[in-house]
Amino acid sequence: MATASDKVRRARPLLGTFVEIEVAGMVKAEMNAAIDAAFEVVASVHRLMSFHEPDSDVSRLNREAWIRPVSVHAWTFEVLQAAVKMHRRSNGMFDISVAPALQAMGLLPQMNDDVPIDTKTRSFDAIELLEGQRVRFRQANVRIDLGGIAKGFAVDRAVEVLRGLGAASGLVNAGGDLAAFGGEPQTVHIRHPRDPRRLICSVEVTDEALASTARRFDPFQSADTASSAIIDPGSRKPASAVDGTTVRAPCCMIADALTKIVMIAGTEAAELLEHYNASALLISTDDDVQITPDWHHAGYLAA
Amino acid sequence: MTQWVRYTLPAAAIVSVASPAYAMQYLSIEEAQKQAFPSATHFAEVQAGRVWKAEAGGRVAGFFIFDRVIGKHLYIDYAVALTPSGAVHSVEILQYRESYGGEIRSPSWLAQFVGKNSGSSLKINGDIRNIAGATLSSTHITEGVKRVLAAYGNRLR
Repeated sequence: MATASDKVRRARPLLGTFVEIEVAGMVKAEMNAAIDAAFEVVASVHRLMSFHEPDSDVSRLNREAWIRPVSVHAWTFEVLQAAVKMHRRSNGMFDISVAPALQAMGLLPQMNDDVPIDTKTRSFDAIELLEGQRVRFRQANVRIDLGGIAKGFAVDRAVEVLRGLGAASGLVNAGGDLAAFGGEPQTVHIRHPRDPRRLICSVEVTDEALASTARRFDPFQSADTASSAIIDPGSRKPASAVDGTTVRAPCCMIADALTKIVMIAGTEAAELLEHYNASALLISTDDDVQITPDWHHAGYLAA
Repeated sequence: MTQWVRYTLPAAAIVSVASPAYAMQYLSIEEAQKQAFPSATHFAEVQAGRVWKAEAGGRVAGFFIFDRVIGKHLYIDYAVALTPSGAVHSVEILQYRESYGGEIRSPSWLAQFVGKNSGSSLKINGDIRNIAGATLSSTHITEGVKRVLAAYGNRLR
């Protein structure tokens, strides 16, 4: 059993949330250097994929990709490839082009000089991936936001950096989207989406990822949950099938993206979860908790 | 086709694991100083408990500023490291605290946090190390860093 001094755990404000990184199994200076490098890679993902930063790949795509092909960083391309695949496989349920609906709700800012976009129009398969990491939008009214997948990708990259620098074990937690590797399992407590004082269960995580999404709640305003920040591309309205979900998957990018599908499709997401070797827990609007049969493989409910 | 398994939450079990508050101590001020300026040989206190000048062999390596912002309800302690020219070098969370629910409206409950500095070990539900289920916004830290820059960015030399 490792003692506290064998580990270093630090946190920085990144990706609009708090990113926590823990490593173990090296001398302290090495652990700190590894954590620095992992934070740096998370910051790079943020710079590339932020909707808010005017120089990010995402902003450049939103400005220009409907006019001409735009070349992007290899990581942005990798995330777009995963997003397009999941879009097709989920029959359009996973859709990174719901940014206009989020803008209309005030959850994403309007860009300067951008034309107002009718949130009711929807376009299936609107993103074209070309040779040489170039991207083109098939319609003029497409605006993308990688908020539903990039955080998971950043967690995966950070884990890769920590492993590459020789960390025996570690954990990266970006505001609830997390991955752990090596060593003893990490215990993660999952909150009830409607009452954050209540913990639904704890899950043991090792060499896998866990991502959670819930309907938005703001304890400053009220203890009740507001509407979801996840848009159902079918209705262009906030998803209302379930109150919250936690997905465990081999990598965090996939876990992150799959939470959006469960929020929209509820139990209908089972086949897709299976395809991605993922399991899930969901809390329905009438407070029922449901799990996929393989959820239990390492976890247990109501600890 | 995968069948979902219905799980009914035992109400009693939920209450027994209820978590009114959560706290995580990451780094002490001293640890964070060393982390931000590994080459520094001395940290000269410029403003008591708040601002330090990092010196390496007689040269200024940068400045270290301790600050706190309100998170959801409770303070988050953090540190901003500035380069000698006053630009942000790094932002690090030192201690994170959070609470929910009715308890926070009670002054006596809040009083337990008054006077705690980042060196005090404040551990509520110390066994809860990882929480998932809600994305916590770091907006207040971003605003805090802006404030620190406005206050010190051009003033420290």
